[in-house]
Amino acid sequence: MSLIGPSRHQNGQKSGARRAENNRIYAHPLPLVFSTPCSSFAASLLSLLGFSAARLENPHCEGIYDPATRSVWVTNEKDSTLLWRRGFFGKGDLSRSEPSWLARQVNARKAAGKYMTSEEMRENRRAERKQFKLDRAAAIARAAAEAEAAFAEGREAAPAVIPSGATWKPSSSEASTLPAPPEEEDDEGPDADDAEPEEEPLENIEHLQLTLQEAWFLVWNLDCLTVLDPHTNEPLTLQQIWRAFQDVHCVPPSLSIYANRIDNPFLVNYAAYHYYRALGWVVKGGIKFCVDYLLYKRGPVFHHAEFAIVVIPVYEDPADQESSPFSLPNVNTFSWTWLSTVNRVNSQVQKTLILTYVTIPARSRISPELLSSPACLTHYSVRDVVLRRFVPARMRD
Amino acid sequence: MEKHPSFEVLAPYLPKYPKAAGALFQTYNDLKLAQQWTDIEIIDLPECSRCGLRGRRPNTDDVLSVVPCVISESLSTDWIRTTFQELGSPPHLYLAINTEDSSIVYYKISPGIVKPPL
Repeated sequence: MSLIGPSRHQNGQKSGARRAENNRIYAHPLPLVFSTPCSSFAASLLSLLGFSAARLENPHCEGIYDPATRSVWVTNEKDSTLLWRRGFFGKGDLSRSEPSWLARQVNARKAAGKYMTSEEMRENRRAERKQFKLDRAAAIARAAAEAEAAFAEGREAAPAVIPSGATWKPSSSEASTLPAPPEEEDDEGPDADDAEPEEEPLENIEHLQLTLQEAWFLVWNLDCLTVLDPHTNEPLTLQQIWRAFQDVHCVPPSLSIYANRIDNPFLVNYAAYHYYRALGWVVKGGIKFCVDYLLYKRGPVFHHAEFAIVVIPVYEDPADQESSPFSLPNVNTFSWTWLSTVNRVNSQVQKTLILTYVTIPARSRISPELLSSPACLTHYSVRDVVLRRFVPARMRD
Repeated sequence: MEKHPSFEVLAPYLPKYPKAAGALFQTYNDLKLAQQWTDIEIIDLPECSRCGLRGRRPNTDDVLSVVPCVISESLSTDWIRTTFQELGSPPHLYLAINTEDSSIVYYKISPGIVKPPL
């Protein structure tokens, strides 16, 4: 069964068991969970009166702020698994998405490859695609040679059979449809050590990397993340975090041109991130598709992202743009070719492009006291514009 | 970052170009640990104000050059030309564009027109 052709499943690629498994593991959309106590008389009485006896469970995760990479690292495996499974926050720094580096190393050592991580499936898919391209190029060359020979002899060439993505079958009989790993495989480090005594024990050096926007969302809105100072390992206060996340864009932070700037890149990007997260979308980075963010309805494991977001900052007061020490991307009028390119890239992968205009309030309206707290975020406004390419000759409805 | 095992190897280079320190760190880790490149050496590129990397992909012999940069930077063709010169004019180089969520996108750049392989 070719990995690059259309899947035999009609509704999506995953089997029912896989989907049920995913629904079970990724059941919670946010790290905070409501737990209802087992039914008791008091609980039923309270619910009759309109009160809920549910308790809020806060996992209290911990992360370390790293200014060089402008991110927050979650090195604790339990916390990083939790943050990924409840809301798809962060990305494993040595993996495609979920931190799976240790699982891949263990698989490589065992060399049995009974269960494959998404990276290994991707490698298989790439190898198949490469083989398909070689076969197709050979078929085209053969067809061309055949046409030449036929023309020279003055006869009709035999009809050429060029494989396409849908019709090509891998020639080797190696099974490439190994099942994806069950989620319990993630913490197999200690077991692998016992199996391979002659190799040195594997230490998990991967961490979950949260962007500053994700970290601030967890810290400020959900209060489920503690950020530690990288040098002292002390937890940072909310004020310190708010200051530090903005100062990372100011080099050096003490310069007066950076004082009281409402157009700090952290604030502008956070306004857009918060807007979509608050609406319930899972927001991930979109560099693979030349955009700023990708929106997932439930999460990357369920379905491909449907929307691609480009954040376009707009200054309410043009004088602020002149005096800005930050070079915010996309702030100047963009060219038609740029828009066309980004739209093309995303239509190829069946994503809809959305331009998110973030209006930066005028500096004259914002006092320094307002800037020292997240209350200044209410003054931003976010508008989105959906883009679809329209071809009048072909789209009649 | 200091507690990470790769820090010792990179320690002499990171403070030299602080703006590119995060990118160098992420690219080095990705190549060494995730992509499993061998014989990685770090090359100082003063004209480009960063350090480049050279190494081998697994199961190949060619030495490939990688230059890390950050998504928020803007580069020019002049900069690319200088990088090629400083690296000793390799046939092509890979530009590793780093982002804050640790995604790295590699772009292969060649000096001149190159026909696609297939």
